[in-house]
Order: sequence, then structure tokens, then C-alpha cells
Amino acid sequence: MERKDNNQAKAPQGEAARILTEFLEVAITCIIFLKGVYPHGAFERRRYMNVVVHRARHPQLRDYIHSSVNGLLPFIQKGLVERVVVIFFDNEDFPIERFVFKVNLNLSYGSKVEQSDLEFSLRSFLIKLPVSESLTKLLPRGCRWEITAYFRALPEASTSKDSELIWIPTDTKQWQQPPLITPIKSMNSEPLGVQLYLEHPSLSEPKP
Amino acid sequence: MLKYGGRFENYFSRHHVTHIICSNLPDSKIKNLRSFSGGLPVIKPTWVLESVAANKLLSWIPYQLDQLASETKKQPKLSAFGFKSGPVLDDLEESISGQAVPQSGIATLRTSCSLEANIFGKAECTEEVEECHSVSDDPFHPNAAESTDQAPTYCMENHCEVELDAAVVGQSDAGYHSHISPCQDPKSDHNDCLEDHIIEESSSSKTIRPSTTGHSTLSDANFVENYFKFSRLHFIGTWRNRYRKRFLSSANGFKDMNPSRNAFATSQKTTIIHVDMDCFFVSVVIRKHPDLKDKPVAVCHSDNSRGTAEISSANYPARNHGVKAGMFIRDAKALCPQLVILPYNFDAYEEVADQFYDILHKHCNKVQAVSCDEAFIDVTDLRVEDPELFARAIRTEIHETTGCTASAGISGSMLMARVATRIAKPDGLCYIPSEKVDDYLHELPVKALPGIGHVLEEKLKKKQINTCGQLRLISKESLQKDFGVKTGDMLWNFSRGIDNRLVGVFQESKSIGADVNWGVRFNDLNDMKDFLLKLCKEVSLRLQGCGLKGRTITLKIKKRRSDAGEPVKYMGCGDCENLSRSVTLPMATDDVDVFQRITAQLFGYFHIDARDIRGAGLQASKLESADRNIRGHEKYSIRSWLVSSPARKSSMGKDVSEHMNGAGKGDQLYSDIGPPVQAKGSFSGGEAHVVHRATLPALHELDVGVIESLPPEVLSEINDLYAGELISFISKKKEKNAGNNVMDEEQSLSNPLVPPNKDFVHDAAEKIKSSEKEDEQYINKMIQGLPETSGSVTALLPETDSLMPSSLSQVDSSVLQQLPEELLADVLVSLPAHRRPDFMSNDVYLDHIRDQTGAIDFLPSNNLWVGNPPRWVDNFRLSSCQLLNRIAVLYNKSSPRGQFSSVLQLIMSEYPLDDGGDDAVNCLCELMKQYIKLKIETDVEEIYTCSCLLRRLTSRSELFLQVYNCIIPHLQAAVGETYGGDLNICFIE
Repeated sequence: MERKDNNQAKAPQGEAARILTEFLEVAITCIIFLKGVYPHGAFERRRYMNVVVHRARHPQLRDYIHSSVNGLLPFIQKGLVERVVVIFFDNEDFPIERFVFKVNLNLSYGSKVEQSDLEFSLRSFLIKLPVSESLTKLLPRGCRWEITAYFRALPEASTSKDSELIWIPTDTKQWQQPPLITPIKSMNSEPLGVQLYLEHPSLSEPKP
Repeated sequence: MLKYGGRFENYFSRHHVTHIICSNLPDSKIKNLRSFSGGLPVIKPTWVLESVAANKLLSWIPYQLDQLASETKKQPKLSAFGFKSGPVLDDLEESISGQAVPQSGIATLRTSCSLEANIFGKAECTEEVEECHSVSDDPFHPNAAESTDQAPTYCMENHCEVELDAAVVGQSDAGYHSHISPCQDPKSDHNDCLEDHIIEESSSSKTIRPSTTGHSTLSDANFVENYFKFSRLHFIGTWRNRYRKRFLSSANGFKDMNPSRNAFATSQKTTIIHVDMDCFFVSVVIRKHPDLKDKPVAVCHSDNSRGTAEISSANYPARNHGVKAGMFIRDAKALCPQLVILPYNFDAYEEVADQFYDILHKHCNKVQAVSCDEAFIDVTDLRVEDPELFARAIRTEIHETTGCTASAGISGSMLMARVATRIAKPDGLCYIPSEKVDDYLHELPVKALPGIGHVLEEKLKKKQINTCGQLRLISKESLQKDFGVKTGDMLWNFSRGIDNRLVGVFQESKSIGADVNWGVRFNDLNDMKDFLLKLCKEVSLRLQGCGLKGRTITLKIKKRRSDAGEPVKYMGCGDCENLSRSVTLPMATDDVDVFQRITAQLFGYFHIDARDIRGAGLQASKLESADRNIRGHEKYSIRSWLVSSPARKSSMGKDVSEHMNGAGKGDQLYSDIGPPVQAKGSFSGGEAHVVHRATLPALHELDVGVIESLPPEVLSEINDLYAGELISFISKKKEKNAGNNVMDEEQSLSNPLVPPNKDFVHDAAEKIKSSEKEDEQYINKMIQGLPETSGSVTALLPETDSLMPSSLSQVDSSVLQQLPEELLADVLVSLPAHRRPDFMSNDVYLDHIRDQTGAIDFLPSNNLWVGNPPRWVDNFRLSSCQLLNRIAVLYNKSSPRGQFSSVLQLIMSEYPLDDGGDDAVNCLCELMKQYIKLKIETDVEEIYTCSCLLRRLTSRSELFLQVYNCIIPHLQAAVGETYGGDLNICFIE
């Protein structure tokens, strides 16, 4: 098992997946900062990929984002993760806004990943994010948020120990109508493609 | 060289360099050829000289670097010659495929001779194609004329080489190239990245790499069929089925007797004989060759001392030399140089196995077949005086009839009978009376017990247990604790010679399937799909052969481990990860189409690279007999679809969404499949979450048209589920509908923009009213029947309240053209007048449609974005429309190049925007549609920017308004399909 993991890490996809998770951690923190869920004082300015980003100061918040994104790493490496979504709920647990990272990792990509190229492309997300605040909705008071990943297929319990760690939410409220999509940024460089878009309830969505 | 257009590049670049010329390469570069050459051909300098001398570009293949060419000879492969296409060589394929495959990829000279003969006959043809090839050397811009000829060209060349080399060189290229040609066909659907794809593919086939040379699954169209035809394991596997058919009657009779026997079984001392043929697979083959009897002989599917073919069975003289089954031939030959290797003779095996069982059944009616050469017989009821004498008689008869020897073991239980046979072998007889069981067992290694394999043996060894005697010292409890209840129990019993199993009836197969894990190599997903289809056919045939149907379908894939190299065994599977997935269907099936659909879906879940696949297997389990299936049909009626457990639902939902993927997506289609599907609509978006509306859809959600067309039984069943409200609902809805229709039509009539011939329209409107439902169903059917048009046809049904598209350009004219004349007129008239981009009479519409189809034929429909600059730029530049010309010019100015949004941005700053005609609208629409198709998966941001810009342009120009109106429904459909939502275009205002 250990031997295999090492190999995966060395493979170009493993490298790309590692960069991606790191990026997701930063980007998700930025979204949380952007949406003003917590007071601005809860974040501190940092530099990542030569862009000013924000990092959570509170250890619990930082740990939640870090552990949930890093928990996805093995599945991202296997190309199982399709979307990583930051969902904001109102106080009745009804989703009001979803930031969707659609991930497309080319598993058959053979050559070496240029870290700098990938980072250059990913950086554009971090630049675009703060300026797209106008696209987003104002959050009501008492909202909450969570990180959810959508898998292409559920990993088989027998084949991987990791799948025991997967929690599948069961009683979440969903939109009845297809949502409205507002793309924020797309990036497609081998072997990794990431698209960030917003999902809002459609106008015909019955109000809860 | 310069004079002839060649250039020397100082630095390697994929864009400039087309060939690499050198006369020698260091070993490191040979080993890592791809990273060195980037897939380009590596050729000797004589190619340049001779090309110059010939005054034309010669094919580089004969000039390939010797070092590389010889690489391929290491693992030559003949089955590669069985190509899929290449019409010229069809007869060749036929002539060789029979011989090619069983040789396990080792070419024989004889076959190559037959090839040569054929090639000479086609010499003229070869020259012709070769000339074609000399023009088509640039892979970047293939054109139609060249690409059609390319496949045969390569094939021919390969064969020329065969001819030249006299020895057969394994060229898998034949398969490869014929495979490429469809990609290079400009008519096929491709885009920018295709370019890389083509290069990648063609280069990989040109650079002959040892790792990918043999694609037997690729190169042999009948691979699966032949694979099983020549597989020993398959013979053993299917023999069971054959046996079942042959001896079913006697087995049944035996079954009936069984219960009565159980009653007094305990009181009586049982006698069981285990009969096993001695090295069956060898002795059957050599029974006609007495001279080989005492020589070491092994059976293997291939006789090649270098080969990595495995020995499947060896006779005792060979075993004395240390030759064992499963050994590679080269190792066996090293141990025993005089070893004679013979091929399988499946007919003979069948014959001998039948004789063997005939004899057993003649002597005793309680026979349990273990394999084709091994069986248990229970002679307790026969009250044989001396079982040894009885067994001896059987052995003698077997020997006389078949010419092969058999060993027999006699004891009180199946376990001990088998142990006795082990001692008796070869050609012997052993009787273990119950009082001697302990002595025999005491020194018996644990491995000899049935049910103890490598793993269990290792575990036991760790506990210092090597013999049954040692095993007996351990208590049952601690065995059960260490190995699990069942295994522990088994170990405890077996070590004491206790075996409560009865010589039972023939065991029914629990699953039927087909596995292939040798010679499986794929280039891309399409190959895999073809292969899966063949597996599906095979499994379906086997099921039908047994008269069974399966409910659970399991797909197993062997995936090469990322660190595993090319396996030691030639074309073997090597170190693999085994993946498997299964789906349980609501209804048992043996239908190829169902299998295919499900396997495609299951395969989709794996997300693996086709090139990593080393084996695949498909199995159907939860078998039901085909006739019972018909009787039990009621169980699976629509009720079970509607009121089913979530598990069933999810599997069915997948099923259905798969169905819809094939048919294209549109709300109308959901309802077309039936009401239960509506509840599962969310699956189509690829959503992982479970469906929430597990209850019946609300009445008003049902499509009356569909409900009405359901057969009466089903309708009444659904009606019951709705507590009888359905029928009244339908009639109400009907009335309402009629009213609505009248209103709609009146509205459209009062519209001042309606075409002049009002009477006609009125008539048609009347007709529509009566036949609207019919039409809808008809069109829905058409949509399902024409999966290839799904993309545009769904636009036909953009809104649930209206059947008609918002503009004519969305109508798929190929569908319309297939409509009967009167229906066509109806459809045309019912196009809402206010939605028409321009107002024409009916005839003009018809002409319009015809024109459009003409235009579609004229425009290569799917590759406007292929090439650099994309093809449309040239088309637009040559167009008579000024606006299009302008756009072509703007493309070259735009930056970043290749993004249509930057072109639109530039158009924004143009002033004034002159309007083009309909042609311009059509061209732009087509362009945008293809652009959406190209970018929707990877770059929704770009699509979004484009549509926003387009929206802004609509205020400036009528033309762009038309384009916008035409594109938006298409765009939303595409976004809905990929992202499960609508693009929020009105957001930016």
C-alpha cells in the first residue's frame, strides 16, 4: 500500500492532485472570507502564488478546510472527484448559493507536470474571485456553510480503506429546479482542468 | 536537401520537426524512445538520399532505424495481420485468421508465405497506394482523398516488409493504421485538440515501441471468439454445461432418490470412489501415439522454445524431470531438453470425457462430476462386495475404451477418497478403510486437503502446522477464532478425515460469464467498447445456450498497476489491480443490447485509461431459467417499478438515465419513457445524491399523451396506484387542452404577421388540434429513433408548454425531411408565427429546409474549429458576405488567438455592423454551436463571455439578434446537459 502511494505521488497526476488540493484549500478560504461569514478579523493576509490571499486564523476553521480538502486527495488522485462544492445554507438549511469547483484530472496524462504552469493558471482563479463578489448573493443572517464533494462513482468499500471515511449527507434539502449557473473562471491545462462557477436557485424555484 | 524543401532544425520542436534522421542511437535513447523522439519517426539518412534520387517523398517505413525495427522482432506477432478494415485485404484476413490466432502471436513461416502470394497478386495496387501516401506525409492537414487511402497504404507497406524480411516481422501497424484512418477523416467530429490526438496516434504507431506493438484485441476482429475457441480453461468451464445436457436425465433420477437415501445414510457405511484420469490433457493427445508414451510430453498452446507460453499439463516422465503445469516453455525446456510439446486437441478431450462419463454412469447412477476428467461415485447403494474389485473393473474399462489410464481412490468419504487417489496416482488404486484413515492423515501435508490453498497454507505454516497430525492438536474453537467459523470448522473436520458432504447432484452454475485476460491491449476507449460488445455477445450466447438469464451483471477489469512494466508472459496481464462493479437489474436478461448498455455504464464508473487495461470479464449471476422468467414476469410488472426499494430504484434510475443519455435530453423525453422516470429525472444530470421524490409523481406532472398511449392494463395499474384519480384527471386535462389549443390557434390567427393563405393555416390548425398528441408522440419516437440527431432535436422541444422550436434554424431538417408530407406541412404551420425570424410562405419554408440540408452537405458539418487557424476562418474569408469576411479578418487580429470571445470583443468595436443575409446567420449559428460543443466541457467561462457579448451585440444588429435567439436554447440545453443547470445570462445587465 505504501509503495503504491509513493508511486502515485510521483506520477504527474499525483503531483497535479497535490497542487490542486493546496489550491482548493486557499480558494475555499478565500470564498469564505469573501462571503463575510466570519468577521474579517478572523482572517489574516498571506501570500500564495504571489497573490494576496486570506487565511483563517481560527484553528478550527482552518482545520476544517484543511482536513476536508486533504481528505479528498486520494480520491482526486484516482480521478473520482467530479466537483468540490462550497454550499451556503440559510438558517433553514436551504441552500442559497453554491460555489462549484468542477475538477477534471486527466489520468492518462503521461508527461511531467510543470508546477509553475499549473500555478499560473490556478492563480487566475484567486485573482478573479475577489472581483466576482458582485455576482454573488448577500447572505442572510444565521447562515452556515459546508464543503461537499461529488464523486463520479463511490469508491468500493472493499478496495479502499479510505472510503470508510466518507460521509454521505442524507437529509439535505435540494433545489427542485435546475439552478442558474454563473461561471467565474475556467482553466484547462494538461493534465488538470478546473472550472469555478456559481449556482443559484432558479427564479422559478419554489421558496421554502 | 534545402532545394527539395527539407530543413535542418537546430533545436527539437514538435512543430517544426517531422522526421529524425540518424544512423545510430545510444542505448538510453532506444530505451526511452518516446521522450527522445516525441513520437516522430526515426529514420536512416538513406531515406533522404533515396527520396532525392527518386524525386519524390518515399515512405520512411523501410528506412526505419535498424535498432528500432529489430525491437519489434523480439516479440513478433502474427495475429496483428488480422486487421479490422482495409477492403483490399479482406480476403487476406480470411485466409490467415484461422491460423494466426492459435499461434499465440508467434508467426510461422508458412503463414507468411501465403501472405506473400497474396501480396504479389496485389503488387499493382500497392504501388498505387504508395503514391498516394507520398503526398499525404503531412499529418497536420489530412484531406479526404489522402486519408481514405491511408489505411490500405500502411497495410500494404507492412506486408511489403514481411515480404522483404522473409522472416515475419510483427507489425501491429496494420491494425493501428486502419484504426487511425477514421480519425483523419475530416468529416468526423473533431476539434483543436484532435490535432494533438492525431499526431499522438500516428506517431505512436509509427514509432514501433515494443510495449505497444501487439494489440491482439485490436488487430484481430474475432479475438474474443477465437480466444475462447482455443482456451483450455474455457473448455473445462463449458464442459460442465455440456455434461449437464448429456447426463441430465440420469442426474435427475438420482436427485429423486436422494432424500430417501439420507434417511438411512448414517446407519450404513458409505463407500465412495474417486476416479481421476492421469494427466488427462496429455494422455488424451498421446493415446494414439504409443511411441510417445514413455517420453516426456507436455501440452501447451504454443511450441516455441523462447516462448512464454505456459505448460498446461505434463505427463509423468516429464514431471520426473521437474516439469510442472504453469511453467513457461523455455523453463521447461531448460529442465528437460527432449520435452515434446503438443497442441491441444479439444475434440479428442470431448470425446474421451464423454466416454469416461458413459462408463461411470453405466456402473453407477450416483455420479458427481468434478471436472471433465474427475468424478466421485457413490457405490453404497450398490452393495458392492469388494469395492476394490469394482473400481478395478471401472479402471480397466476406461483404459480399454479411451486408451488412457485413470486412478481411483476408495474410502468412506469424499475427502478420503480424494486423498486415496492422490496416493494411488499414477495409474493405480488405493483403498483407505475407515480404520486406517488416521494413519494416512497423520503424515499428510495440510496442503493436500481440499480447500487449503496458498494463503491458508502460509497462515498454517506460520503457526508451525505442516501436517494434518499437527492440525489435529489444535482445538476447534481456536481454529474457528483464527480462521473464521466456517474455515475453522472445515479444518477441524478435514484433519480428522470427517467429510459430511454427500456425493451430490450436479451443481447448477451460479454464474455464467466470459473473462479474457490474455492479449488484451487497447489504444483508446473505442477499442475497449468494441471489445466489451464482443464480450457481451459471448456472454449472451452462453446464457442462451444454457437457457438461462441473469439478473446481476458484473464487469471485472484488470488494470495494470502503475509501476508494473510489460509482463514476463508475452501478452499476459502481469501485475494487475482487479476492479469490479456490478449492477442488479429488475429483470433477468440475456439480451446483448441490455448487456452492452450496462457494461458501457459499468465501465464508465471505472474511469481508467484504456491503455492500462489488461483483462476484462463479464459475468451474469443470479441466474433464472429463461422459461421461469416468463412465468415470473408478473413480479416485475410496472408496480415493482413504481413502488420499489431505494436500492432497486437507484439501479433503475441509472438504467434510465443511461437510456436518456442515448436518446438525448429534454423534458418531453422523460415523460416519454413513462411516469416513474420523472421521479428520477435528477439522475440525468449525473448527480450523485439519491432521489428524493420516492413517491409517485403528482398527477399534474404526468404527461397525458403518454398515459393515454399506454396499454390498457398498465394504465389501469397506474390508475390503481393513484386511487382511481388518474382517469378523471385525463379526461379533464383533455378538455382543457382542447380549449387551450383553440385559444392558441386563435391567437396566432389574429396575429397580423401570419402568412397570407389563412385558409390553409386554418385547416392545418384544425388538423393539428386533432392530431397534436399523435404528432408529439410521433416526433418523440423519431427523436428516439435518431440518436445522432439528439443534440439538435431536443431543441425541437425547448419548453414544456410548447412543442415547437423558437426558430426554424433549430429544427433538425433531417428529421423534418423524413416526416410524411402532410405531417411536415402541419409541423411547419404550427411554428408559432411570432417566433419566425422572417416571414415566408410555406413553400419558401420547405425550400428553406431543403436549402439547409444542402448547406449542411456543403459545409463539413462538424469541424469548423479544427485546424489552426480554424477552418471557418477560411470559409468566412471566401464567403460572399462582407460581415463574415470581416469576422475572418478580426480573427487574425484577436488575441488570445482561438478564443471566439476575443473576436466578438473586436466586433463590438466595429461600426457600423452591416447585416448579412440568412446565410450569414446560418453560418454564425453553426459556428457558435460547434464552438459551444467544443468548449462546454472545459471552458464554460468562455462560453459565458461569448453569450454575454453576443447579447450585447443584439442591440446593435438584427443579424446578431437572430444568431442570439438561435443559439440560446442550444446553449442552455448544452449547459443543462453538462452542468445540470441554466446559464445565468441575464445576470450581467
